[in-house]
Amino acid sequence: MAIVKIDQERCKGCSLCSEFCPKGILSISDRLNMKGYFVVAMSNEADCTGCAICALVCPDVAIEVFKN
Amino acid sequence: MSGNAALGEAAILSGCNCYFGYPITPQNELTEYMAKRMPESGGIFIQSESEIAAINMVLGASVAGARPMTSSSSPGISLKQEGISYLAADELPAVIVNMVRGGPGMGNISPAQSDYLQATRGGGHGDYRTIVLAPSSVQELADIVPVAFELADSYRNPVIILGDGMLGQMMEPVDFSGIKKIKDYPKDYILTGAENRPSRMVRSLLFDTKEEEEHNWKLYRKFQRIENNEVRCETFLTDDAEIVVVAYGIAARIAKGAIKRLRQENIKAGLLRPITLWPFPSKKILELAKHINDFFVFEMSTGQMIEDVRLALAGKGHVNFYGRPGGVIPTPIELARIVSRHYYQTQKVKR
Repeated sequence: MAIVKIDQERCKGCSLCSEFCPKGILSISDRLNMKGYFVVAMSNEADCTGCAICALVCPDVAIEVFKN
Repeated sequence: MSGNAALGEAAILSGCNCYFGYPITPQNELTEYMAKRMPESGGIFIQSESEIAAINMVLGASVAGARPMTSSSSPGISLKQEGISYLAADELPAVIVNMVRGGPGMGNISPAQSDYLQATRGGGHGDYRTIVLAPSSVQELADIVPVAFELADSYRNPVIILGDGMLGQMMEPVDFSGIKKIKDYPKDYILTGAENRPSRMVRSLLFDTKEEEEHNWKLYRKFQRIENNEVRCETFLTDDAEIVVVAYGIAARIAKGAIKRLRQENIKAGLLRPITLWPFPSKKILELAKHINDFFVFEMSTGQMIEDVRLALAGKGHVNFYGRPGGVIPTPIELARIVSRHYYQTQKVKR
């Protein structure tokens, strides 16, 4: 199983990752960060394949994926 | 690099030596970048106690002959309007950056284009105009900064760079090799201490109505000169177009995507993108109206630039509008669908 870490303070809620996630499990949450953006969050962690496309497309390098 | 940081670097490269700002999303990264880079480059950075203080610091720095800049987003720019009016009245150069967000009031922090009328109509009190530049990519945002300082210095007038939350936050590669320090203009009005010369005064209080009228006409002549010489715009596939989309800033970028899509569907669409929103490229629109009848204005507001397009056309052609206010970013597919529906409807009418 992969662990996806989202740096909430770097995220600007552009939702590029949710657009590209093949499983469609990333979406904008109702949590605000310090800058005032609604940040992205993962809904169903068990479905994540660890493909790391989200980390690749993130323009603000806010996503880290750990595979084991 | 984010748009905000690119703008900051371009300002330093073009010789900006004073920056005064107050944080507001979505232009925070600019203030942050300037806080780090300004002292390194030998300039002055002050985080003011409010937006009003920042614009008045700009006024003070400009009177003293510096090359000052300030930045904010919509609600902060409203607070700066008094200072901008004074800058225009005193004929002082300054660059003001507005990364527009959803409004009115506090609104939200998403990108919008709802400050068009405020920026192009003067914004503050009195008979004045500000030059308004509207870039549409991070590279252009950087490239337009030396142009803004050049225009401010040569006409002695405040210049507004009208971006939006998306341009400020967007990450794109930027090439700074084309950005050089601009030349210093002779400034015979600045206040540097009257040792060995007669004293000067910079003021906008002219109690004598005759004097004030003459000052207003003087400013008017300057604005006419700007209108005649400084219009900038970009056209895209307008040579054989049957319908022209008029859009500026980030909306123009969305429109470009939509037009490429429409061309694939054999709809002959083109784009007119005003780069200077004031002076507005009215002559160019009138020129296009000679062989194009259909104009489609696209904005991220409920319709502000459409007024200028209508004024430019003076009754010629048909003007249609599509807009999404409140910080919503429409997609190229969405715009292409709207334009093509409109296109086929008008085709039906013609038959």
